Amino acid sequence: MKEEQLLIRRMLGGDERAFEAFFNAYFARIYRFALPRLNGDAQAAREVVQATLAKAMRRIADFRGDSALFTWLCQICRREAVDHIRARRRHLKHVVLIDDRPDLRSAIDALEAPEEYDLVKAYGREEVGRLVRVVLDRLPSNYGDALEWKYMEGSSVEEIGVRLGIGTTAAQSLLARARTAFREALEQVFGAEAADIAAGLGA
Amino acid sequence: MNDDDIERLLKAAGMRERAPADVEREVREHLRKEWRKIVAERRGARRRWSGLAIAASILVAALGLWLAALQPRAPAGPVATMAVALDDVRVKGGWLQGWQPAVAGQTLAAGESLETGANGRAAISLPGIASARLDHDTRIRLASAELLVIERGALYVDAGVELPGDSQLAVETPSGVVRHVGTQYEVRLDGSDVRLRVREGRVEWRSNSGTVQRGQAGEQLTIAADGAVQRQPASRYGDSWNWIASTTPALDIEGRPLSEFLSWAGRELGREVVFAAPGVAEEAAAIVVHGSIEGLTPAQALQAVLATTSVRGSLDDGRIVVANGRVNDGSD
Repeated sequence: MKEEQLLIRRMLGGDERAFEAFFNAYFARIYRFALPRLNGDAQAAREVVQATLAKAMRRIADFRGDSALFTWLCQICRREAVDHIRARRRHLKHVVLIDDRPDLRSAIDALEAPEEYDLVKAYGREEVGRLVRVVLDRLPSNYGDALEWKYMEGSSVEEIGVRLGIGTTAAQSLLARARTAFREALEQVFGAEAADIAAGLGA
Repeated sequence: MNDDDIERLLKAAGMRERAPADVEREVREHLRKEWRKIVAERRGARRRWSGLAIAASILVAALGLWLAALQPRAPAGPVATMAVALDDVRVKGGWLQGWQPAVAGQTLAAGESLETGANGRAAISLPGIASARLDHDTRIRLASAELLVIERGALYVDAGVELPGDSQLAVETPSGVVRHVGTQYEVRLDGSDVRLRVREGRVEWRSNSGTVQRGQAGEQLTIAADGAVQRQPASRYGDSWNWIASTTPALDIEGRPLSEFLSWAGRELGREVVFAAPGVAEEAAAIVVHGSIEGLTPAQALQAVLATTSVRGSLDDGRIVVANGRVNDGSD
């Protein structure tokens, strides 16, 4: 049984730690997914995320594991955001993001490569930077966190191990897996390596 | 890819946004309460079921054998696809099967029933038919690819523009059957009355007693249980058609000519597309649109797409008027 399905089973069984693990793994990522789709409206994002996760918990027994749990949550969130906009007649501010373009969306959802083109040239640095952050969010949550802690906050492997509640060796191993997963996801979504994307962003 | 590349890229992309701590705390507590309620409900349901299980098992076995003998054999294979499922939408197979949540993309077999709740709406795709859409509190049964049986609520049928006029799709109501000739129409059950609104093309109503009535675009027929028919004009656009917009399967506009998109929007909004000046039609045919309109109603999509082009559109007395210029005032 997949890890996600085990988590669901434990949650439905009333395991408090499973609920905490579910919330910690998905709340921040779904919040980031919702916020730009609601034109940066933090109050709307809060309402949509709460509705999304509440609805997901109600339906979670029906989750079949055909897609990643996060992808499934994103589908619910996308619909909640549209309903929220409709209900408040904010449709003029509805944002169609480039990762909602059919080609990019399928690439991100399934991590399969779209046709190669110069994203930086086509969409600008800000959007590509956001897309890199979207890719981080599509990794298992502890992968994205570990990469940010290591490379942006400068945390040591020992510190990462402590924050994740695992030993140093396990943290080292997790970081290696995270780097591999990040590299593969970048190549599948952008058709380019990190160095090329970073160069395109002017880094 | 080495560590330096990752570091450079992540720093260039910037930190991922964090939700404010108070928002995270409040949402966590709200969801914890919701989760505990769900767990309690599931436990309660399990206890009730286990108490009944032994007594029920004997009855179910006997009933199952009886129903299995009675139940008609549904032909295998899908006859329709779930195109849109908003909120509370359920599907049910044979008599012995319970209602299950329906999801977009799943196939539906002959004999299955589809139901929307108070907040639910849905659209299904059938062969040769653009879509059939279910309003709130509606139940239909897919008798076959050619026959939908409406048991309550409202059903909208869009036969599509390219239908050659010989579609065999029919909608059966308690008091008669509706057939169409290349059209868009709504069938709504209102108590014992059947209300039939024709948006495009023509429909034919045949009552259970064999009486035939025909309706055409812009007409509404209200058919009472005793067969009495009342006719009145019906607008092809406006608020009473708005429920359909929420279940419109999104058109994949990427790479399509603007003219094709306009044609789709015109049909979805019940409005004729007219071009304000010579040459605008050619311009619309030459413009290729990009992006996605998923999640937008047709009116919102019209506004969003035209805003990115060199033409503008306005809604005027049942028409979408397309003209030169970038200023778009096409709101519904």
